[in-house]
Amino acid sequence: MTTVVSTAPIVRRRLGFDLSKPVLVTFAVILFALIAMPLSWLVLYAFSSKSGGFTLDNFHRLVTDAAYLDPLLTTFALATLAALICCIVAAPMGWLVARTDMPLRRTVRLLVTASFVTPPFLGAIAWELLAAPNSGLLNQLYRELTGVEQGAHLFNIYSFTGLVFVISCYTFPYVFVLVANSLDRTPGDLEDASAILGGKAWDTARRITIPLALPSILAGALVAFLQAMTLFGSPAILAMPAGFHTMTTKIWSLFQFPPQPELAAAASLPLLILTVILLRAEHVVLGRRGYSVVGAKNSEPRIVRLGRWRWVMLTVAMLVLMCPVFLPYFALLNASFSKVASHLVWFNNFTLHNLHFVFYELSATKLALRNTFILGTLAATAGTVLALVIAYVHTRQAVRGYRLLGFLATAPVAIPGIVLGVGLFFTYTRPPFVLYGTLWILLIAFVTLNMPAAYQQLQSAFKAVHPELEDASRILGATRLRALWQITAPLLRTSVIATWCFIFVGVIRELSAAIMLFTSETKVLSVLIYDLNESGDLAAIAVLGLLMLVLTFGIVALANSLKFGSARRLSGTP
Amino acid sequence: MASVELRDLTKRYGDVAVVDDISLTIEHGHLVCLLGPSGCGKTTTLRLIAGFVEPSKGEIRVGDKLVSSPAHSMPPEKRNMSMIFQSYALWPHMTVAENIVYGLKLRKMDRDSIGKKLDAILATTRLAPLVQRYPGELSGGQQQRVALARALIVEPETLLLDEPLSNLDANLREEMRFEVRRLHDTYRYTTVYVTHDQSEAMTTADLIAVMNAGKIEQAGSPEEIYDRPRSEFVARFIGSSNVIKGKGLDATRIDFAGTPLRCTGEAIKSGASTPVSIRPHDIAISAAQRQGENIVPATVVRQVFLGGSRDYMVEAKDGTQLRVLTAAGENIPQGSVVWLHLPAERCRALSG
Amino acid sequence: MKGSKISRRNMLVGASALAAGAAFSTRVMSAAPPASAVTPALIEAAKKEGKVVWYTSVDLKLSEQIGKAFEAKYPGVACKVERTGAERILQRIGQEYTANVHAVDVVNSSDASHLVYWKDQGMLEPYVPEDVAKFYPAEHKDADGTYASFRVFLCIIAYNTTMVKKEEAPKSFADLLDAKWKGKIVKAHPGYSGTIMTATYQMSRDLGWEYFEKLAQQNILQVQSAADPPKKIALGERAIQADGVEYLIFQEKESGQPVEPIYASEGTPLIIGPNGLFKAAPNPNAARLFQSYCFSPECQQLCIDIGGLRSVHPQIKEHTGRTPLNQIKMMKDDAVAVLKNGEQIKARYTKIFRV
Repeated sequence: MTTVVSTAPIVRRRLGFDLSKPVLVTFAVILFALIAMPLSWLVLYAFSSKSGGFTLDNFHRLVTDAAYLDPLLTTFALATLAALICCIVAAPMGWLVARTDMPLRRTVRLLVTASFVTPPFLGAIAWELLAAPNSGLLNQLYRELTGVEQGAHLFNIYSFTGLVFVISCYTFPYVFVLVANSLDRTPGDLEDASAILGGKAWDTARRITIPLALPSILAGALVAFLQAMTLFGSPAILAMPAGFHTMTTKIWSLFQFPPQPELAAAASLPLLILTVILLRAEHVVLGRRGYSVVGAKNSEPRIVRLGRWRWVMLTVAMLVLMCPVFLPYFALLNASFSKVASHLVWFNNFTLHNLHFVFYELSATKLALRNTFILGTLAATAGTVLALVIAYVHTRQAVRGYRLLGFLATAPVAIPGIVLGVGLFFTYTRPPFVLYGTLWILLIAFVTLNMPAAYQQLQSAFKAVHPELEDASRILGATRLRALWQITAPLLRTSVIATWCFIFVGVIRELSAAIMLFTSETKVLSVLIYDLNESGDLAAIAVLGLLMLVLTFGIVALANSLKFGSARRLSGTP
Repeated sequence: MASVELRDLTKRYGDVAVVDDISLTIEHGHLVCLLGPSGCGKTTTLRLIAGFVEPSKGEIRVGDKLVSSPAHSMPPEKRNMSMIFQSYALWPHMTVAENIVYGLKLRKMDRDSIGKKLDAILATTRLAPLVQRYPGELSGGQQQRVALARALIVEPETLLLDEPLSNLDANLREEMRFEVRRLHDTYRYTTVYVTHDQSEAMTTADLIAVMNAGKIEQAGSPEEIYDRPRSEFVARFIGSSNVIKGKGLDATRIDFAGTPLRCTGEAIKSGASTPVSIRPHDIAISAAQRQGENIVPATVVRQVFLGGSRDYMVEAKDGTQLRVLTAAGENIPQGSVVWLHLPAERCRALSG
Repeated sequence: MKGSKISRRNMLVGASALAAGAAFSTRVMSAAPPASAVTPALIEAAKKEGKVVWYTSVDLKLSEQIGKAFEAKYPGVACKVERTGAERILQRIGQEYTANVHAVDVVNSSDASHLVYWKDQGMLEPYVPEDVAKFYPAEHKDADGTYASFRVFLCIIAYNTTMVKKEEAPKSFADLLDAKWKGKIVKAHPGYSGTIMTATYQMSRDLGWEYFEKLAQQNILQVQSAADPPKKIALGERAIQADGVEYLIFQEKESGQPVEPIYASEGTPLIIGPNGLFKAAPNPNAARLFQSYCFSPECQQLCIDIGGLRSVHPQIKEHTGRTPLNQIKMMKDDAVAVLKNGEQIKARYTKIFRV
């Protein structure tokens, strides 16, 4: 939600010479190549028979064969449940940190961020260590405490419920962040206005606070649904042992020998179509009703005093955070230093062998780390630059056709990772662009997948820098580029760094597109971990997983320190 | 409806007293303006009255009910007040009609009565054509009127307004000023109005309380505040007074640039440096030498023709510069020596 | 190179070509080339290339150790081990070759039929290491010299000795269908594991598909790689593995984990994991050197001692405490039949086990 009170965009056309055409064409071509080509091939394949002719058979099989229909229904149920759970858990938590005097609110936010950047597949593996029915640490503890017979268990992570749980653990931050941010931005005046008219706390909550937070809850639920629907890692790790497929694992299994790319393409389309429909539906539901706050000056949000409940609420929040953060991290740490992943580490069975194995014996470690670093850096840089230029062109309306660029940059939001992976595979395994087997194809995938978020982030940053700041510089004699460089760029620095880090972290955790596109030479950390899971090498996974988390948190911390540093310097800018 | 009484009211945040020992009585049915620059504590005072903030010291009474004290503070929803916020605080997810009748619905009023009241208030605030719009679809003035309607429809005992016009453009602001006064005359609620705009206060208020640094500097009718400021702050803040300084000669006179100046207002201590205010249009200017009491010689530094009047800047012998407004015809060139007459009844001696 | 006939085609045709391979032709090739010794010239040439890429489905620790031992013996030639399930290796190489990506030098698969298939596609380079020529029995090497049995092992039942008493442990595949094992069995998947592919063929041939249909009622924990079940029972996640590699059971047992192998009375599936090298290998000399090293007694002994594998090299010593191969009743290996029926086996398995 942004304030609607914004200055009317000023249309300007005053370039010395017309750069607009080449810029527009170049970027349109780049974006087209990134998005339109893979999708076109995908659609083409979906309507192709093995011999290459037109057919509807693929779709016919999709809706009649239980082997495809079941995963489709399972995926739908999974995503719906996960989205529901996310809302039930995350919305109240968002309220607690944004609107109450619960202690340690900052810490809670930080921990949610931690679960946000934790790769979901890593979480799934960690939960295998915790809640596998027999060897899971929690189930062992349960048997220890209750003395029930061997084989009895409290949790079974290899189940539909288990999968819903693990997916919810790592999608609830989306709802949480959206709700907390929207509550942060809802002026306290709106609630005060209700109170002064006689609204009691509950009336105000029911009629004002909740309806105002509703769009963010809805948006959060939508994102959670889409995430759960398109996730590959967690179902691949948990659904198969439990004996069922989701759409993503099914698509992936269609690339098993002998590959059935036509069916895979056809199976990808429902995911794509559903995503597009849901994103459109969101607009329809919200309708004409303005949810953006009217009025210029925002007042401080009103803090609800919880009294004795403060600590109870904190305990509840911490219990929730046990699931995505404390317990899994502990399980990974334990497995890293344990001879057997299911044994608790103590002084007598402590070992450094796993570390030694990963860093000195596993020949893929170095390569995967290197590839991840190269791809992270390249994708973050290329993605930021691309998003920056498009955001600039769009907010300042610098060239004609800027709307098209904006649309293209946001479009990948509707493309699930695995679908993009399939599309890119079709596109770049054939002349004239044979990129399969190189890092380029992964780079394209990562840039494309991260483009919408990066673009949104930078676009709102550009909006916050009033064009008059640039104009002021130009009237004093600076060229357009100089004004950009000396005025706008420093003001955007924070957002640019944040975007860069966001993409980098996104690359580290990406699996669903990478799994379709990697080759032995272009393996990345996430794929390496997935491969290790296939053969059950949990100790090595734990070490690599921790390494991955350290890397991620390092980047996030770096981004934060830079952000706060420059925020202090730049405070007071509009 | 009842009077509102603030007694020794203090609000501290840490060591800082944002509201510092204020006492003020607002008569039943009166409109009181809290006037002051930003940061003077006027909004906090209003929020103390509303009950959003609890006092550190002192108390607030409405009628004979104690509503706020450090020991107990009645929650805002129980005070039967209404408030118009600076941001209007219109709920963006409700239509104009839904916004306005919100308070009535909370009071569990039946549909017919709600409908009647709504029609009445819509007519008064001229909002009838807009009832089905959402706030995001209204102009600033329309939003302001919705906020007003929403606050008035519940017939509060007390109406609080927090800079309600500050978000409007100049023309609309002027128009709405009279609108507020007109509505107040219609309904006669006890009203507390917070503003930093002195002309807004002048137009609307029965009583103006000028605030500075958490304290009330002076409270009085608009005329009183304007004509008889008691402190330098009030003199400067209300209108644009010249404030000159001179050593006290006796209880009614100071020495200003070598001329004894007789003043009214506060008693003057002899020997003490005393500020005296006089408004630019109260000073008479003459190119011909004049004799008599309160005649001060000066030099014209610059003068500007303003159409209806002429604006002089003159300098007395001690270097003090004074603004003088005269009729447009009085054209004395820059650099000329002039004689100023500062009428004794217009020279207000101020408290230190 | 000949394999490029696939790669130049588009994906569609390529895929169907791969599929068509199931009905592979049995065209006769020329006989194997003469045996090649490891010469200083070969070592030099390999060093120039600097590395060898080995796609293998052998367990990660062993494969990495073989790589390290090779690097120690031939400093300057790095061994990049790419371990994944045999069926995924087949998929990966198929995908890579369709896209004209030639990353793999030497391949090892626990599904012998893959080697037959690659050979039939003309993708394999004939090369016979000295050890293979001299010591390996005829049934363990390709007549045309494109591959030989790098490793031999069994796909066995095993159990966790703390969870199951020795007397109660199953003796046969049929015993696994007992209701008391419901929810206690872990099993790997023929869609990912070549070992299980081979085993599933042999078992479905000897025991019939009804056996799997009944097994599917036992609430098994379905994992992918045949290397996973031994780890799952060592962890105590499940009490029994219905299938899984024998060599990891040896490894776990000998490192003190409570696991015990069982050789089923119906016979145990025999798995042969041949090594072959590709014509389009990016490092052809290093590939030859590595292939020769793999069949040397040194490497074979490593496979046995560290890996728990079996070997058909007559110069190696069997490990004490492991039942010798000749005392175990084995099912008959038939790579050609696996190749012919592979797709159908996967489809049928998926139907029965629903994944």
